[in-house]
Amino acid sequence: MTPLQVFLQQLANGFTLGSIYALIALGYTMVYGVIQLINFAHGEVFMVGAYVTLALILALAALGAPWWLLLLAGCAGAMIACGLLGGVVERLAYRPIRQAPRLNALITAIGISFFLQNALMLIFGATDRQFPAVMPFIRWNIGGVTITLMQLVVWISGAVLMGALQVLVMSTKLGKAMRATAQDRTACALLGIPVDRIIALTFVIGSMLAAVGGTLFGLNYGTINFHDGYLTGMKAFTAAVLGGIGNIPGAMVGGLVLGLLEGLGAGYLSSQWKNVFTFLILVALLLFKPTGLLGERVAERA
Amino acid sequence: MMPRVWCFLSLAVAVFVCGCSQQAPVIKIGFSGPLTGDQAPLGEDMLHGAQLAIDQANARGDALPGLKLELVAMDDQRSPTQSVTVAKKLVSDADVMAVIGHLNSNCTMPASAVYHQARILNISPASSNPQISRQGFDTFYRTSATDDMQGLGAAHYAFHDLGARRIFILDDMTTYGRGFSNEVEIHLKKLGAEILGHEGINQGEKDFAPLLTKIKALSPDLVFFAGMFPEGALLIRQRSEVGLAAQFMGGDGLFDPALIELAGAQAAEGIYLTTITTDITKIPTAQAFVKAYQERYGDIGAYSAYAYEAANIVIWAIQKAAKKDRAAVLAAMQSFKDFPGIFGNANFDGKGDPIGRQIGIFTVRNGKFEFVKTASLQ
Amino acid sequence: MEAPSLRARYLRWAVFAALAFFVPILHPNAYHLDVLTTSFLYALLALGLNLIVGLTGLLHLGYAAFFAIGAYTYGLLNLHAHWPFWIGVLPAAVVAGLFGAALGIPALRVRGDYLAIVTLGFGEIIRIVLTNLEQVTGGPNGLLGIDHPRLWIPGRGIFDFGVDSAPYYYLVLLTVGIVAWICVRLSRSRVGRAWVAIREDELAASCSGIPVLELKLLAQGCGGAIAGVAGAIFAAKQGTITPDSFDFILSVMVLAMVVLGGLGSIRGAIVGAILLGSLPEFLRGFDQYRMLIFGISMIVIMRLRPRGLFGAAQHAKPACKKAPLKHASAAT
Repeated sequence: MTPLQVFLQQLANGFTLGSIYALIALGYTMVYGVIQLINFAHGEVFMVGAYVTLALILALAALGAPWWLLLLAGCAGAMIACGLLGGVVERLAYRPIRQAPRLNALITAIGISFFLQNALMLIFGATDRQFPAVMPFIRWNIGGVTITLMQLVVWISGAVLMGALQVLVMSTKLGKAMRATAQDRTACALLGIPVDRIIALTFVIGSMLAAVGGTLFGLNYGTINFHDGYLTGMKAFTAAVLGGIGNIPGAMVGGLVLGLLEGLGAGYLSSQWKNVFTFLILVALLLFKPTGLLGERVAERA
Repeated sequence: MMPRVWCFLSLAVAVFVCGCSQQAPVIKIGFSGPLTGDQAPLGEDMLHGAQLAIDQANARGDALPGLKLELVAMDDQRSPTQSVTVAKKLVSDADVMAVIGHLNSNCTMPASAVYHQARILNISPASSNPQISRQGFDTFYRTSATDDMQGLGAAHYAFHDLGARRIFILDDMTTYGRGFSNEVEIHLKKLGAEILGHEGINQGEKDFAPLLTKIKALSPDLVFFAGMFPEGALLIRQRSEVGLAAQFMGGDGLFDPALIELAGAQAAEGIYLTTITTDITKIPTAQAFVKAYQERYGDIGAYSAYAYEAANIVIWAIQKAAKKDRAAVLAAMQSFKDFPGIFGNANFDGKGDPIGRQIGIFTVRNGKFEFVKTASLQ
Repeated sequence: MEAPSLRARYLRWAVFAALAFFVPILHPNAYHLDVLTTSFLYALLALGLNLIVGLTGLLHLGYAAFFAIGAYTYGLLNLHAHWPFWIGVLPAAVVAGLFGAALGIPALRVRGDYLAIVTLGFGEIIRIVLTNLEQVTGGPNGLLGIDHPRLWIPGRGIFDFGVDSAPYYYLVLLTVGIVAWICVRLSRSRVGRAWVAIREDELAASCSGIPVLELKLLAQGCGGAIAGVAGAIFAAKQGTITPDSFDFILSVMVLAMVVLGGLGSIRGAIVGAILLGSLPEFLRGFDQYRMLIFGISMIVIMRLRPRGLFGAAQHAKPACKKAPLKHASAAT
């Protein structure tokens, strides 16, 4: 392989990783935008998505439907499940303590994260689970670079969903309400915008995106483990901060950039140290450019 | 008032934590391995082997008159720190006469020190790192072969049988992985092969595509991975996704059906691995074990047979000691000679390593492990 | 909070100490003692973190790193230079304390949530570095064969702590007592009051002439040093240390202990540590449900008793809510 081919292949690897990070990062960024909470549990929601898809595909496989239908059904089911989960968590755990000190919300989030992780372990077992290999294994060799069908699916789904979210947030009334709530909750309440409902919806949408991220994650790696949520979640959060916390296009850009940095770092420098790179980037960002690449969007407070 | 109540309450809770242990007339044999987590399949298979031996002995009414044998299984989660905690817990139970464990070399290493300090017999069915028996502990024995043998066998097969001349080596940086891969590297270099690189990966990692792409650019004939099956499966699968055409070879850590399941039969087709046994179903003295195990548990795991053997040796030692006493059980091992085990007559050398083990070469064909040959160690 | 008389307070502590002292004699179960020792070790950590999070209000999610640094410092000194425990524990504390202060310097620039994430990042970086630097730290296999503490007892010769539970129990108990006393003195001193002032309103504190930067670093340094001592004891007790013992979950657990006990409360930190520290062992029969129950407990506690068990009295809510992120170096 020529160095150029190697580079292109590493780019492809990084892009795949980045798309998944971006989908999860969106959930973090949206929630932080509206209630300034780092939703630690979001990484586990993403894992729930992966497991629900797995369970659904296995259950439906008996019906003999074509693979893409199984996949869509599994993914849709996961989206519903995660959306519900996100909404329930918000309603039961976060809303009651919205007025409490922020440390409490953080600890609650961590508690939920532990709970979900353990619940997943109990339901699905502690060993690695094989993600059903529904997709046909097709590989293309384009000028020395190997691209798989899987990677294409990840890229395309990621792009479609992010585009859809942008449309939702920018061009619909709901989106406008979400942006307004993120800007100034009190004013929105005064104007009659159902703030609680908007916040709940933010959680739901974020969780649904994470569910898709989970499906793609499972598809891409072929095995999932209840542990995967934590590290991937952390990286996705880094991506959200990288792009500018609260900034939705920022999360998308941040995810892709982080994926590329990680892939290139692992490929050219060292695979062992790649997580250190990620955390160093995170720390450096927070210290020197906390507004991120595209600038943060957090509530202006008096 | 309230705070004081809390103080007492908290102390009381802590003191009566976990209930009191029962005092029943049993002889306990401790067992430790990864029973939860990603390597649980290996640990469970090991447990089954030991359990089978214990149950058979109880059925025969063998051990000591009036005393039943009980296997106390503890989960070390493949964590060295947990292993020390587990070891201390087992050692503090006065009914425990010997310990079978652990599985991972980096767990057995520190735990063996605890067992040595407590003067309790410790037999490992699976830990293959040679350093463990070189610590000079007279309490330590193992029924599995060691990685210096395995490394030699693997290097030999890769060079002579697979014709590999350019090799990239990976390991999972654990005691086992690092030790084993170093052995392989030394022997390959002696044979004259070119080592393109030797890198480590972390257990629990998922994404190896960048690493494998980098390796692909070096055009190796063979990629050797010294590590366990969860990472091995991911490497095998991603190597095929990335289009890395080199052969893939590993060691006994890969020898679990879960490897093929997780990697996908298609990707795993044609990989090779060394094991610390030849094909157990072909060993005449093991037939009774094979039949009994398959009836009860199904497919035989990588370390089931070794755990079975280890348990039987422990039972023999207890019988020889003729009393429920750790020192006596340990001392009994001094007269251990030509034990009729399932691998033939068993003997230990001065360090506690078994004499006469062979290394097997397996491959994956049609989604199943297939025995190829006994490794040549010339 | 009511101020019980000095005598009542000392009486309370004396009773507690006496009870704690007699536990190994009355209930000599090695395993239970070990659990208690571990809980008291957690209490040490909670006391240290309490200085940072409880008194000074700095949200720290990477505390386990200092625990690790203390453990590895003693471990390496012992393995390479044969320093015995009683001497090795000092550099462990100092090195960990220095790291605490050093990592605190960049963290001065950030507040609130961002501080939490920065400290989390540092914690993870240190853990991964310890895992990867195998030449120095032994990598994922860690350091083996670290000496246990040894005492020279007149008339009996050298007494090696070995794997017995009781000696460690007393060692940790004594250390907790000493550190708790230091923390109490600190919290009642000008330094302690200044820390609380920083926690309550940093801008006002700065305006009052309090050297905010230096005190923040001091808090993190002291907290780090205490973790360092705990780390050295842990290393000496286990004989083996591996990086996976010093993960993010440990940092969170210690934070939960401090919050459960009530931010700023010394007593609370100890009680919180004992409760949460022995909980996993208490649930060992329900091994699989451990993290589940732990998670639920955290959620419930935050809901029902957000100030913790011994939480400080309610302070007047500030007239205007503070902004969540102040990353610009405004206050200094």
